[in-house]
Amino acid sequence: MMPDLTVTIGQLVLKNPVMPASGCFGYGEEYAAFYDLSQLGAIVVKGTTVEPRLGNAPVRIAETAAGILNAIGLQNPGVVAAKDRIRQLARYGTPVIVNVAGNSSSDYQRVIEILEDEPTVAAYEINISCPNVKQGGLAFGTDPEVVAELINKLRSATHRTLIVKLSPNVTDIVAVAQAAESAGADALSLINTLVGMAIDAEKRRPVLANLTGGLSGPAVKPVALRMVWQVTEAVQIPVIGMGGISCAEDAVEFLLAGASAVAIGTANFVNPTVCPEVIAGLSEYLKRHQLRSVQELIGLAKAAGKN
Amino acid sequence: MPRKITMQITANEALSAEVRRITLTGDITAQPGQFVQVAVTAAHDPYLNRPFSVHDWRDGELTLLYRLVGRGTAILAARQPGESVTVVGPLGRGFPMGREHSAIIVAGGIGAAPLLFLLRRLQAAGKETAFLYGAQTAAALVLREQFQALATTYAESTDDGSRGRQGQVTELLQEVLLKQKADIYACGPEPMLRAVAKLAAAYQCRCYLSLEARLACGVGACLGCVVPARDGSYLRVCVDGPVFAAEEVFAP
Ligand SMILES: Cc1cc2nc3c(=O)[nH]c(=O)nc-3n(C[C@H](O)[C@H](O)[C@H](O)COP(=O)(O)OP(=O)(O)OC[C@H]3O[C@@H](n4cnc5c(N)ncnc54)[C@H](O)[C@@H]3O)c2cc1C
Ligand SMILES: Cc1cc2nc3c(=O)[nH]c(=O)nc-3n(C[C@H](O)[C@H](O)[C@H](O)COP(=O)(O)O)c2cc1C
Ligand code: FES
Repeated sequence: MMPDLTVTIGQLVLKNPVMPASGCFGYGEEYAAFYDLSQLGAIVVKGTTVEPRLGNAPVRIAETAAGILNAIGLQNPGVVAAKDRIRQLARYGTPVIVNVAGNSSSDYQRVIEILEDEPTVAAYEINISCPNVKQGGLAFGTDPEVVAELINKLRSATHRTLIVKLSPNVTDIVAVAQAAESAGADALSLINTLVGMAIDAEKRRPVLANLTGGLSGPAVKPVALRMVWQVTEAVQIPVIGMGGISCAEDAVEFLLAGASAVAIGTANFVNPTVCPEVIAGLSEYLKRHQLRSVQELIGLAKAAGKN
Repeated sequence: MPRKITMQITANEALSAEVRRITLTGDITAQPGQFVQVAVTAAHDPYLNRPFSVHDWRDGELTLLYRLVGRGTAILAARQPGESVTVVGPLGRGFPMGREHSAIIVAGGIGAAPLLFLLRRLQAAGKETAFLYGAQTAAALVLREQFQALATTYAESTDDGSRGRQGQVTELLQEVLLKQKADIYACGPEPMLRAVAKLAAAYQCRCYLSLEARLACGVGACLGCVVPARDGSYLRVCVDGPVFAAEEVFAP
């Protein structure tokens, strides 16, 4: 018998727990050349702002040990143009999650207002954690009170599923997670990238034009797993776990740590078919362990952790 | 349409101290100027795939010409015939065929890599071609005989004068442009490309340049590889390029 891969995130019932991470999948078109996107549990699109954003000057990417630093700076065409591209994803019949970014709470509200009449949008992922923009982004994500205030406002702006994406660049991620939950978030996603830096020894200068960038890829996986574990101990709402997932086994580890679903970011760059491979690998894992549903895995390592 | 393809290595040979040529077989197609991303290792370090232009593609054989730069190319150089390698491609927009009867191809060092395939296509289309090849030293003019044999006319330059004209390959370009109008194609270091674009504008010739940038995804999704466009926006090298019309990217 085929194992059941269905999971629930807020009002969304996902046919499997695997989705691409925001910013690593554009608006979906690019990877449609490699496989049928309807296989995905959900599609998460690039961080979208009210106005178009040019993004940061190049160099924007630096390779690091088992990962990359990026400083894209939220380049996006603005919500109005993005809406047309999001609509194209309707044909895949899989939930579309829009990553929403801004510099002020009214920016976030405005993006949601403009998308409310677009039926293709299933959920909003509120990006309060982008490390690569001067204002907003990360500034929003580090103070629990500011987070609560923002999510309160956005809660009254939509009935759709509201996911809050948390930054790992904080002392106490649990406090921010709890603030988002009490303000009405339906789910959390974590982690965004870790602020880092690369310096070119020969040229004697920083590699990235933005000086700092966000670290992602296998290098961040242990930090991400720890944070998913801690946050799922402290909140009732589901968590989408991400950070360095490259194969089905990595995805299983996040589920065991307490995540209800997973997102795959940087690994798409190295292996464009990683998402369907992880979906197939999850099924195989469940069969091998004679489990009927992926939901049985969620948080399963916690019991062992308490012995 | 790009795909992820497992290819077999049939040869991986040194052409000079710094430059190697790898031949791969598998189910891929390509146009001149397109590139592929090679997964040099399945381990996570070095992490990203490495982009290389299609040096040649025919009879199901894909050839890449690569310069030993760092860890990724060192790993690739150690791969043996008989082994397989994962490749994503074909990627990017290649060279258009142009409109003039004559074409001038300007190669700077390893920038010669994508220009063999282009040269053969232009010749096959019945064009008259001038191949201008510049490098630092004679030893770096890899495959010079091959380019010379294929092109209608051929000239070369080196920085140290060890072969051909001593000086810049753009001096050779200016001499050819004094005599004829042509479509210009170039790949090489950025200062060379800027100089080629200036000359092309001065002589009112169409000019196509193959650019490089730090890539991550190679498919247009990450926005990591941008170069500033003339209109103030950014263009992605991996899908809007790597071949650009000179006026898209450089001021005349
Ligand atoms: C579209 C395109 C086509 C290319 N075609 C060729 C070709 O046909 N032959 C060839 O020899 N080289 C080509 N290059 C450059 C080639 O990709 C780099 O030399 C190679 O990635 C170096 O890898 P490394 O690990 O040995 O070097 P390292 O310096 O250790 O690499 C570190 C990181 O920087 C990147 N990098 C280093 N140099 C370059 C560069 N010049 N351009 C882009 N990224 C770089 C690497 O990909 C890697 O992510 C091309 C680059 C692009 C963007
Ligand atoms: C190039 C790039 C762009 C990103 N853009 C966004 C973005 O627009 N919004 C967002 O919330 N996260 C963005 N992220 C973060 C990822 O969604 C993800 O949280 C992070 O990279 C960790 O997962 P990974 O290791 O699987 O990539 C971006 C990451 C990368 C590498
Ligand atoms: S390398 Fe990702 S958009 Fe070009």
